[in-house]
Amino acid sequence: MNLHIRQASKRLNSSSARPKPFAFLSLILPLCICLLFTACAREPGQEPSQSNVNNQPQAIDSSHFTLGISQFAQHPSLDNCREGFLQGLAAEGFVEGKNLTIDYQNANADMAVAAQISENFVGKKYDMIMAIATPSAMHAFNAARDTDISVIYTAVSDPVAAGLADEEGKSLGNLTGTSDALPVDAQLKMIREIMPQAKKLGILYTLSEANSEATLARYQDLVGKYNFELITVGISNSSDIPLATDKILKEVDCLTNLTDNTVVNSLPLILDKAYQKNIPVFGSEVEQVALGCLAAEGLDYLALGQQTGHMAARVLRGEVQAGDVPFETITEAYLYLNLEAADKLGISLSQDCQDRAKEVFTETLTP
Amino acid sequence: MDIFIGILEQGLIYSLLALGIYITYTILNFPDLTVDSSFPLGAAVSVRLIAAGVNPWLSLLPALLAGCLAGFITGIIHVKFKVKDLFSGIIVMTGLYSVNLFIAGKANLPIFQASTIFLPGQTFLARAPWSRYATILVSAVIVLLVKIGLDLYFQTKSGLLLRAVGDNHNLPTSLAVDANSMKVLGLALANGLVALSGAVLGQQQRFFEISMGTGSMVMGLASVILGIKLLDFIPKLRPSSKVILGSIAYKAVIAAAIALGLSPNSLKLVTALLLLVILVLSGRSKGQDPLRSI
Repeated sequence: MNLHIRQASKRLNSSSARPKPFAFLSLILPLCICLLFTACAREPGQEPSQSNVNNQPQAIDSSHFTLGISQFAQHPSLDNCREGFLQGLAAEGFVEGKNLTIDYQNANADMAVAAQISENFVGKKYDMIMAIATPSAMHAFNAARDTDISVIYTAVSDPVAAGLADEEGKSLGNLTGTSDALPVDAQLKMIREIMPQAKKLGILYTLSEANSEATLARYQDLVGKYNFELITVGISNSSDIPLATDKILKEVDCLTNLTDNTVVNSLPLILDKAYQKNIPVFGSEVEQVALGCLAAEGLDYLALGQQTGHMAARVLRGEVQAGDVPFETITEAYLYLNLEAADKLGISLSQDCQDRAKEVFTETLTP
Repeated sequence: MDIFIGILEQGLIYSLLALGIYITYTILNFPDLTVDSSFPLGAAVSVRLIAAGVNPWLSLLPALLAGCLAGFITGIIHVKFKVKDLFSGIIVMTGLYSVNLFIAGKANLPIFQASTIFLPGQTFLARAPWSRYATILVSAVIVLLVKIGLDLYFQTKSGLLLRAVGDNHNLPTSLAVDANSMKVLGLALANGLVALSGAVLGQQQRFFEISMGTGSMVMGLASVILGIKLLDFIPKLRPSSKVILGSIAYKAVIAAAIALGLSPNSLKLVTALLLLVILVLSGRSKGQDPLRSI
């Protein structure tokens, strides 16, 4: 019996015994493909972005800095953060191409790639890593942990829950940044103002998005203050959205969104279903209102990026250590309105409300 | 130089995953989709235990066992309830998503302040000059132990039977051994390794993320194919060594693509083309079905 098994095992092993003429070719070819792609990789979108510098640079540092930007996904708000960040740096005299080299990488929402991007930056010994969105910030923090590379993050909804800062807001490593905690209170106040009769407020969110979970907890705390009852439905991926939307629309008077990527990406579908039932949908950022949400008390992500850029400049100049600077939360909310959506829903927005709005959309953009 | 540290770290940690996939795909000929969830399962178990104050080394064992259990369930669904291999993997993968969330408590669980197997807390060791190689050293030790263990196991009667099952379903039967139980054993072993890989990665990146397993099966498969095919010309090398080297090679290709400034949009396309080229070329040279000939 043992002989049988030995023979079987020999046969299993023998398949790898012959040398292959193509083996070397298959080693070379992928490399060629990689090189080819690199040659084509400089698409317009990937060009180092040219930030408009209106302010005269204050003090141009003689030394040159290299900065890696690790962005988690492609998203208008996150892109605005990056744009604002470069503007903030430029206002402080750090101009890309002059005394600053920017290496921008986007992980396209892939966790493993996000990890490698940060490790690549650390490997190249950049002066600073700028991380946009929570997963990238966590990877950057971990990669730069035992080095003297500072990490500046932005668009992290809850730095405390992400383990980047302690309860008092003190940084837990050589990093600092800005938080984009949604202005939940202002949003609820605005919804109450537009819909005085509404009782049940619905939120769709993705179970896997930590940011959504953190924001949801804040909604739970605050809904009572404005006499709303919160109804939530969690989904695990975008294919759950049609059924989840049908379910939640049966129970609520209006919907409001978080900055939940999966839900926001399916916004046209949700709006379509909700508006058929004459249920208003509120957004959480300007892009969502542009796409058809009735209104939003949103953050200005360009401003958030600029604020982060100023923080980064102080660290680059050596004025402060990143770890000594507590993270900053942008708090100012701006009202955005969509009149076409209001029209469709038969809701009249008061003149007072319209005057207060930072931007009023009269027609809905098609995504 | 530091870039190579990153590649070695990632390559070594993911090589445990690749070894698991080597067992299911190559040895058992079983397309096991459980992997995409058993990988984060290992991380969830380990990270949650560490957050609760359990010794990081000790947390690896429950993680490994949890993975074994996941593979065992996939195997039972397949052989006992006669569900197609692909579907049994999909069923367990889908269910584990909720289990993972339940274990971790939330979608994203950081353990930045806890000590891991890589750095024993904020001690003097963390400031030692060799501390930047700590991750490589620790993961190399784990990978080496697993590799030696696997190689030894493959020489045992059970190991040889396991290798025979995928190749010839009737051979074990002819030796009065139940081929199905060998399959279940193989799946449990493979997913145990996958979960161990996830646990080690969770400790290295110091957080659990529910989506960290997405695409891990493809990643592991790519590593297996890369290693086995590219190192085909070294007959002396054991398959397990080839798989480990393949995993490092795969991470090197991705790192090169990132370092060269490749657009993130085309990263997956590079992986796809890489696999296609290797499979087509090596398959043609042999005149066999490329996957089975690994």
